Parts: sequence; C-alpha cells; structure tokens
Amino acid sequence: MTQERQDQLADGSYEFLAIFLEGLPFIFLGTLVSGFLGTYLPRGTFEKILPKNNTLAVLMSGLLGAVFPVCECAVVPVIRRLVKNGLPVSCALAYMLAAPIFNPVTAISTYKAFNNSPEIALSRLAMGYMIAVFIALIVARKAHSFFLKESVKAENGNEHHHPRNLNAALNNSLRDLMDVGLYFCIGVVLTAILKTTVIDPTDDFWKELADNSIVGSIGMMFLAFVLSLCSTSDAFIAANFHNFKYGPKLAFMVFGPMMDAKLIFLYSTVFKWKFILFLFVTIFILTGALSILFETQILPGWMSQQTEIPLAP
Amino acid sequence: MTSLDTRLFGFLACLWGSLLIYFYHSTRIRDYLDVGFHHFIMVGGIGMLILGIYSFINPKSQSEKNKTSQSCDHDHGHRDDEQHSHDHNHCHDHGDHCNHDHEEGHGPFVTILLTLAPLILAMTYTKDKLSNGGMAKKGLYEKPALTSANIPPFTREDLEKNVPKNEHGEFQLRMISAYYAAGDLEIQDIFDGLPVELEGRIAPEKINNESGDRLRIFRSIITCCAADLQIVGVALEFPGGSNRPQVEDWVKASGTLTFETVEGDVLPLLKIREVIPAEEPYSEFRRRQ
Repeated sequence: MTQERQDQLADGSYEFLAIFLEGLPFIFLGTLVSGFLGTYLPRGTFEKILPKNNTLAVLMSGLLGAVFPVCECAVVPVIRRLVKNGLPVSCALAYMLAAPIFNPVTAISTYKAFNNSPEIALSRLAMGYMIAVFIALIVARKAHSFFLKESVKAENGNEHHHPRNLNAALNNSLRDLMDVGLYFCIGVVLTAILKTTVIDPTDDFWKELADNSIVGSIGMMFLAFVLSLCSTSDAFIAANFHNFKYGPKLAFMVFGPMMDAKLIFLYSTVFKWKFILFLFVTIFILTGALSILFETQILPGWMSQQTEIPLAP
Repeated sequence: MTSLDTRLFGFLACLWGSLLIYFYHSTRIRDYLDVGFHHFIMVGGIGMLILGIYSFINPKSQSEKNKTSQSCDHDHGHRDDEQHSHDHNHCHDHGDHCNHDHEEGHGPFVTILLTLAPLILAMTYTKDKLSNGGMAKKGLYEKPALTSANIPPFTREDLEKNVPKNEHGEFQLRMISAYYAAGDLEIQDIFDGLPVELEGRIAPEKINNESGDRLRIFRSIITCCAADLQIVGVALEFPGGSNRPQVEDWVKASGTLTFETVEGDVLPLLKIREVIPAEEPYSEFRRRQ
C-alpha cells in the first residue's frame, strides 16, 4: 500500500471515529426519548395538541425546533416513534427538516460565524423553515404508502394497548438504537470514505466554482452532502469558503442539515428510498433556487444599506 | 424480538457503551471531540451500558410474549393504504400477551457485523490525528479569508490592553489572531513588525519554501468534532544555522510577525528569534468563540 493510501486509511478511520463518537450519544438520547414516548405517550395526544387545520399544524411544527432544539441525528428516531404514535407525517417532516436549522443554537453559531451578522443567520433560519414547511405541505397531500416504510406506519391504523412499563420502554429504546445506530454507522462510513478519497474542499476545483452563483450553489450543496457536518458547526466552515458568495454559503448551510450522506441512511429508517430521492431532489432545487434568489435579489438591498457583511470570523 | 435477539442487541449496546467509556477514560477522546462533549460521551456510554446489561439479563418478558404471540390472531396484514382511514378507532386489546413486533429492522447478526466491522477497522488504523495531507484539506496551507469593516476598530491600545506579554516583552498572540490578521488591512498595520510568541504544533512548510528554511506552526479550531476541524497556521522562517524543531513538536515560537504576498495572497510569516519546547495542552483543539 502506498503512503498516500495509508494516510487515507488512517484519516478515514479518524474521521469515522470522530463522527461516530460524537453522534452515537445523541442517537442514544434520541432513541431513549423515542422509546419512552412510544411506550407512554397515549395515541391521540397529537390530535388534541395540534391545530385541527393541517396547514396551521405544519406551520407550527416547523417552529418547534425553537422550543425543542435537536440535532439532525437525534431527531430521526424521535419522529420515527412519534409517527408510529400518530403524529401526522407532514408535521413530523416539518419538524425533522426545520429543527436542525430553526433552533437557537444554530442561530447563534451562524450569527457568530459571520461576524455577528444577523442578516445571514436570519436568512438561514427563514430559508430552512420555508423549505421544510413547503415540503411538509406537499407531503400532507400524499398517501402514506408513498413515503412511509411499512414498519413505521404499521401502527397508524390500529389502536394497540401495549404494556406501559419500564421494560417495554427500554425494549423500544434498544430496538430503535439498533435500527438507527446501524444506518448511522453505514452513513458515517460513507461520509468518511468520501471525505478522504473524493472530496478536498481546498482543491482548486471548488475555488473555481465560486465565480458563478448557480454553479457555486450546486457545488456547495454537494460539498455539504459529503462533509456531513453538524448544523451547529457548519456555519464556521461555510464562512471560511472565502471565494464563495453568500448565496452558495447559504445553500451549504441549509442543504447540509436537511440532507447529507449520513442522514439519508438515517432517513431510510423512516422513509422509503424513493421518497428520500424525492426529498433530495426537492430540497436541492428549493435550496438552490432560494439561495440564488437571495444572492441576486435580497443581498444587494442589504449591501446598499451597510458597508459590507463580514466574510469570516 | 426473540430472547436471543434481545440479548445480542443488548450485547452490542454494551460494546458501543464500552467504546465510549474507553475513549473517555483513556483520554483518547481529546483527539476527536471538543472538551465540551467529553462528559456527554461518558454519560452516553454509561447509559448504553446500562441499557445493554438490562436487556441482556432481562429478556424474560420478550420470550414470554413470544410464546403467546401466536394467540394474537388479529390480522396484521391488512392494507393500510390511502383509502384506509387513519382516524378509525380499530381498537383491539393485546393485554400483556401480545408481542408482535411492528419493526422490520435488521437482525442482530447483521447489525453486529455491519457496525463492528468498520469500528474494528477504524480502531486498528486510526492514528488519533490527521496526516499532513488530511490537515491540508482542513486548511493548513490555506490563506485567510478577508474580513471587513464591520469588525469593531482594533487599535494598538487594544492590543496592549488585551494581549499578555512574555518575559521578553513579546505579545503572546493567539494563532487565529495572527492568521486572520493577514485578511484585515487595519490589523495588519498594527501587527506588522510586532514581536510575538505563538504556541502550537509544527508541520512542514509547503508555501514559498524553495530554500527549505521554513516550517509551519498551527492550531486546530473546533466546534464539535474533528469533522468540523479547521486548521490555521503561520509560516516560520528560521535564520541560517539556527536550531529547528521537529515536525509534530509542540513549541512556543518567538520572533517578528510580518506579512508577505505570495501569488497575490497575503500570508502571515513569523521571522524566528527563538523556538522553545512547550508543554502540550490536554486538548490541542481550540474551541471556536
């Protein structure tokens, strides 16, 4: 094996362990919550809590991240179990997609990463919320068979009175931990391989994409997909792509928390693959379009009102 | 889940939990995650261990249920499609005897194989740090981004007030400050020619080093884990005949901070007066502010 290959293997192992070690406790926390919710939360709870109007319910669900901030890894097992317990899938999807972006931790980190610029942070939150809600409203009009895995929707039509005790809760947690942990692990393997063998963010290829907002946004979304960063830290990475304009940077910060290499495997514990593909394409198009709109229509207005938005920490 | 499945899954949860506790206890975790996450890793590890042990020694209810699951004769194969109302109250009570599982997850052997194989491989080959090529991808040899006028004015008085000096009167500047100064004309004016001391790890220099008289000093900036690592470095120029540290050494480098233009990019350069070995910190990651 060449020295380069040895280094790639060592670096890939290092990247894998870093993401796995960081993500696993959050996955565990999420599955613990999901296990207990699945056991103790009575069916019909959401029908009582959520507004009767579906659109209003989706709009509210997209805001829940501000109250219950969760990262993109922990949210999947939770919504998986909540959907089983009767939470409308559209509401779950709105929360799942929006929460990693529309939460105070991400807002503050984005604000700090862009030198205390509220414009960038607010744009990111608004864009993430709009995309999540838009997709959720589309999904609300579709039949469950289009997107939900059989195992997730199995209890949708039935009222089962499972025992509500600690043993059942822990068994649910264990099962969720194993299901989600497996796909998380596969996703992290893929991320580590791509990061160490395919992608080099400092390569001239990426820098050359920066001149064009459309190509730059596409490139940055692809990069976000591969890098699989946490939504709480990705703003610092985005801020340092100094060649890129704000549109592509926003695309990076909005697309990544909703769709990355490890998340597609986590999503596969809830959704069918064809729906994940639909999600990927829809998020890709919406994020790209909105970031270009931001770059060409909104940013010039802001720029005329102030000297310059800072570019780096 | 059968009793055996539960035990095997419990065993795997124990392994995952032990892995987290091992990384925490051995302090290897400091090479992977920000210090703020370390206790969470230990708590997560203990939690998984408890869950695993509980499931391993207490699969009783599962097996009991399995025996009676055949008596649960309602039809689980009914279609639950779009024509089927999800609001209907098709209520049937399983009491304490039904153990049909609405999960379709993979069995324990597949899960164990697919998660332990990459873990064992990674544990075998990791060096608890990135190679030089890996660090280059994280920005070790990258120029700093340009900053702008939105930053509050920074003056020589601010520098004197906020940055401590060593016994030689040199400013103990943070690496990230020296690095980003190259992207800010105002700060460059203040820092240019300044006597400073930088602390960090040594890497080979690959920029403007044809004569081989340069090394690079760097620090790693982190928010969560090594995946979001950003490496900032400053070139060190050694006078002829001076002693040089080895690559990977942790040092304090003192000298005069200057800025040079290489292929149109402004880069920081420390002209060395002295380099002394320094005690390596518990974690070499510096948290983003």
